[in-house]
Order: sequence, then C-alpha cells, then structure tokens
Amino acid sequence: MTTPDQQTEDQDYVTLVSGDGFEFVLARSTACISKTLSMMFDPLSKFSEALTGRCVLENISGEVLEKVCEYLCYNEKNKNQTNVPDMDIPPELCLELLMAADYLDV
Amino acid sequence: MDPTLDPPLPPPPRRLHHRASPTRRHHHHHHHNHNHNHNHHYRLTLTARSRGDDRSSQPSSDPAFFSSDDVPGSGGLENYTGSAAAAAAAAATGASGSLAGSRKRRYRGTWWGEKMMSSGGHQPLGNEGPKRNKRVDFREKRLVDSGVWMGSDDSAAGGFLGSDASWGEEVWGHSHGQGQRATVLGGLRRGIEEEPREHQIARAIVNDCLERGDDSVDLSGGNLRSIPSGLLRPLQHLTKLPAITEPPVTEDGYASLEPFLRLFLAGNALPTLCGELFELDTLRVLSLRNNKLTAIPPAIRRLTMLQEVNLSVNRLRTLPWELLWLIRKGDLKHLTVRPNPLLQIDDGDQDPDEAAVVAEWHVPRELRACVYDGPAPEEAWAPVHVATGPVRRYNAEGVLLPAELQQHQQQPTAMELDATVTADATPQDVDVMPPPAASRVPSLRECALLSLARSPAFDLLHDAELAGYPALMLRLLRDAREVRAAGGRSCSVCHRGFVLARTEWIEWWDCSTYENGLKGPRPSGESLRPLPFRRLGCSWGCVPGAEV
Repeated sequence: MTTPDQQTEDQDYVTLVSGDGFEFVLARSTACISKTLSMMFDPLSKFSEALTGRCVLENISGEVLEKVCEYLCYNEKNKNQTNVPDMDIPPELCLELLMAADYLDV
Repeated sequence: MDPTLDPPLPPPPRRLHHRASPTRRHHHHHHHNHNHNHNHHYRLTLTARSRGDDRSSQPSSDPAFFSSDDVPGSGGLENYTGSAAAAAAAAATGASGSLAGSRKRRYRGTWWGEKMMSSGGHQPLGNEGPKRNKRVDFREKRLVDSGVWMGSDDSAAGGFLGSDASWGEEVWGHSHGQGQRATVLGGLRRGIEEEPREHQIARAIVNDCLERGDDSVDLSGGNLRSIPSGLLRPLQHLTKLPAITEPPVTEDGYASLEPFLRLFLAGNALPTLCGELFELDTLRVLSLRNNKLTAIPPAIRRLTMLQEVNLSVNRLRTLPWELLWLIRKGDLKHLTVRPNPLLQIDDGDQDPDEAAVVAEWHVPRELRACVYDGPAPEEAWAPVHVATGPVRRYNAEGVLLPAELQQHQQQPTAMELDATVTADATPQDVDVMPPPAASRVPSLRECALLSLARSPAFDLLHDAELAGYPALMLRLLRDAREVRAAGGRSCSVCHRGFVLARTEWIEWWDCSTYENGLKGPRPSGESLRPLPFRRLGCSWGCVPGAEV
C-alpha cells in the first residue's frame, strides 16, 4: 500500500525503462510532451503504466532512450524561450532517434 | 621507503651535491629555493624573472638541472642503466646511500615530470625488471610528449612509428572502409560511363577560367541539365593574375586583383540549383536567366556579396525571402526577375487558383490600387511591404494541417481585411492559438533530421540500407536529403537551421527600384509591382509579426 505522500510523488514522476534495462526517471509533465507517453500515463486510462508510473519501451535501446529523455528535458526547458539553442545529436543515433520519435510522437 | 623522498628533490642528494661542488656557498639559499623548484620547472618565464631579481649571484632556482654532471665519476650515458639498478638497490634497502646513482635517476624523473619518479619511489622492493620496463615506458612517453625524434632512440621510435602507422590504418579502415570502397566504385563507374559531353565542356571552361585568372565564368548556353558535383567549388579559390606584360604600365595595371566573380548559367535547362553554388561566397554576379527553375533555394542567403542577380525567364512562382534580405542588407542592387509566372495578388477578377489571397495589407487603404504616391525620400528607394498572405501550418511530420485546423487561424485574419489594418494584428492571432503551438522548440524528429542533414555521413547512406524503414521515415529522409542538396535552410524569423518547415506564408514587397538597378527613386504616381517572397518558419511560433 502506498501512503498519500508516496502517491503524490508517484504522480509527479514516471519511470521510462529501455529495452536493455536502463531506467530513466522524469517529471510526469516532461514525459507527457510525447503523445504516446501521455496516453499511457493518463490516470483515467486503465493501462498498467498509468497505475505503476513505469513504462517499458522494449524497442528503444538505453542509448537512444537517454537521448530521448535529454530531448524531453530540452523541450521542457526551452518551451517559453524565443531563442532556442540547437540540441547536439550524434549522427549515428539519428535514424534510431527518428524511429523512436515516430513511436513516441514527439 | 621514506615518503619524504617522493617530492622532486630529496635532501640527501642535495647535501652530497654541496660537498661535491665547493664553489657553491649559498647552500642555505639553495635550501630555501629548493621548495619552489618544481614550480620553476613548469613556469619557465617566472624562473627567468626571479633569477634576475635574486640578490645572489648564483643561479638560484634550478641547480638540479646541472648537478648530475657535477658528481665525480657519474658522467656518461651508459651509467644511467647502472644507476637505475643502484637506485633500485637503494630503494630496496631503504637507505639513502648510493647517492650518485639515485640522484641521477631523480633528475631524469624530475626533468620529465614527477609522476614517473614517484611511481618508482613507491616500489619498495623494486628489482631490475620493473625498473627497466619503467625506463622503456618512459622513453616512449618522452617521444610521444616531446615530438622530438633522436637517432639513438631508434628502437623505441621505430616501434612507436610502426605501431602508430598500423593503428591509424586500422582505424581508418574501420571507419572509412565503406566510404572508400564507395568512392573507388564511383570512380570506376564514372570512368566506365563517360561523363556527359556538356559536363566535360563546362569543366573545361571552369578550368580555363581558373588557369587564366578570369573572374567572369561563362557557362551560358551549355545545355546543362544539372550542375555536376565539383564543377563550381574550385572557383572559390580563383586568383586574378596581374595584367602587366610589358614595361609601359597602363591604367589597367593598377586594377584590383581581388576577383569580381561573375557566374553566367543563362540559357541552360537547370531544374534545380545545387548547394555547391551557394558555397561561392565571393560571388558578385549571378545569372540564371532562361532555365527551368521552379524555386530558388533559401541558401542564396549565403551569397552575401551578390550585387546583381538575374532570374528572369524561369518557372518561379515565388522568390525566396532571403533574396529580400540580401536587398535590405544593402549589397544586392540589381534584381531581374521578370518575366516569371509569379504569384499575383488576388484582385477579384482572376482565377482563384492562380492568384493568392491576402491576409493583411501593409499599405494604406488608398494605396491598395497599387499606386505609389511618393512620401518620404528614403522610402522612395526602399522596398515597400505591400501585403502578407495567410499562414499555412504544417505538423511535425511536415504535412499541411487540414483546412479546419488552418481555418482557426485564418478566421480572424480574414476579418482583418475589412477592419482597420494595424501592424500588431497578427501577433494577437498568435496568442489566440493553443499554447503548444506557440512553442519554438523543434520536434525530436526535426532535431534528428537536422543533425543528419548536417552530417557528411548522410551522403554515404544508401537507399538499400533504408529498405526496412516505414514509408513516413523514408519521406522525411528524402526531404532532408533535398534540403541538404540545396544547401540547407534557415528560419526566416529566428534564423535557426531547420529541415521541415512548420509555417509558410507569402509577403509581397515592391522592389521596383532594385529591379531597375537603383537608377532612380520610385517616381510618384508609379504603380507598385509587388513581388511574392516566400517565407518559411521553423516552428509554429515563427509567424508574421513574431520577429526576434
């Protein structure tokens, strides 16, 4: 059983798990920039992800998911900026990131 | 091992040193300075200055450099190995005896850095094997660090060079093997399939210009259907030659040798322009008259020294916004764009497919008849903003939003047409939009595509490797490839580089003074002849009126 305190904490943070087992903890609002994730974590839905606050992304590797999380934070940080800096993405990750972006809809 | 022996110069050798060289009397002074010795090794300029300041006539700071040769009976390079052994023995017994040998080693250690010496000092039971290994390691390190090769070091140097060369080859083979194979194959293919004749002629013309130092490159009427890669790039390095051949120097002899690069591609059949053209950042005159161009890439912005552009007799519906930017920046003074099937402002009696709707007028109501009545003198020269078209928005996948979503933004602007025209009408529309739309953060897709489009590795990516990817991704990659080939894009509002446009709109500007080469100001009563400039934005926050 979770205490109310823990519950609100769970509400604020969600955990993304890569296919190879790396875990990334993000603020819920940051993660929900992705439409796919926001649907998964929607408390009104009965998805297990929404109940546990934990989502396993089987088809995304840890390396790519790290970049995805970096992007989510970059998006959150710059959403009200007028001069948005470029984000560094190594070219070898681009194709996999494109696939991940397609899946997560970001 | 006594830990006090670790710092650069331990006391015992010092004492022996003074006994061995009785000419040095200021040994107290030496002891005083000796704490600072390691500083002097690193800060050589400081050492030199402190020497001058010193009241002592002695070289105060670093006797350590010289004293190894002062010790009797320890000269000669061959002693070094022996001394290493002696030092090892001394270390093993824990005594500070056998001073000549140990000190020698210390000096060498100090000279190249404390690290080696202290690691030697920490081995209480050092036998000869490890010590010798240390020496070899050390010698290699020295070669790597100093960059100086000496004949006596041939064994180590040979190993070093050899291993380095093979290592480099290996790495090169790993990372570039594929690319290299591709180039070789490409070269072979090119050799087998003869290059088209018009390309050969064009290359000959360019080479001739380079050789003669002729800065007027005429490739017009060459029947070119594309610009072969590598044709224009060498022009970047074109150098003019002095025109003097005989003693009587004419006026021409004093002409500037800075190339006034002119490129004439008129009368070809070019459907697109390549990015290579926009690398010629010293280009002054560009003629693309009478081609089959449907668009001018925004990368033309990079040709900041352009003074004259001729784009007439093409298939242009719009001009890039960047061309207007070049005009307003000041260098571009002569723009020839007519005739072209340019987008006309809808004045009611035209075919709606052919004419564009105006979302906002920027000239007073009485001027909408497109007649200029000549107010301020500077405005008589400058381009006049006549009207702005509606903004078209694209989603993150680069697909035009469906009409009902566009409608939301169009409705207020359409009403603006009849309301009073104010400059800040459009930003208010932006505020009406839903919050995520106003964000200027690029999508992750966009970030990845941009990084890919900027990377040279993209050219090596073959379609066969992409066979398994979904169709949407293939389309995005094709778009990125096109953007890369055309020399890149940058947002007309915030100037970021981007691949997928999220907003697009047309602005009509009258540039008639530039169209006639700034021969005279806009005369009063002249009708405005606005040109359509196409603007692209990198995010939904980049819309008319949202200038940074």
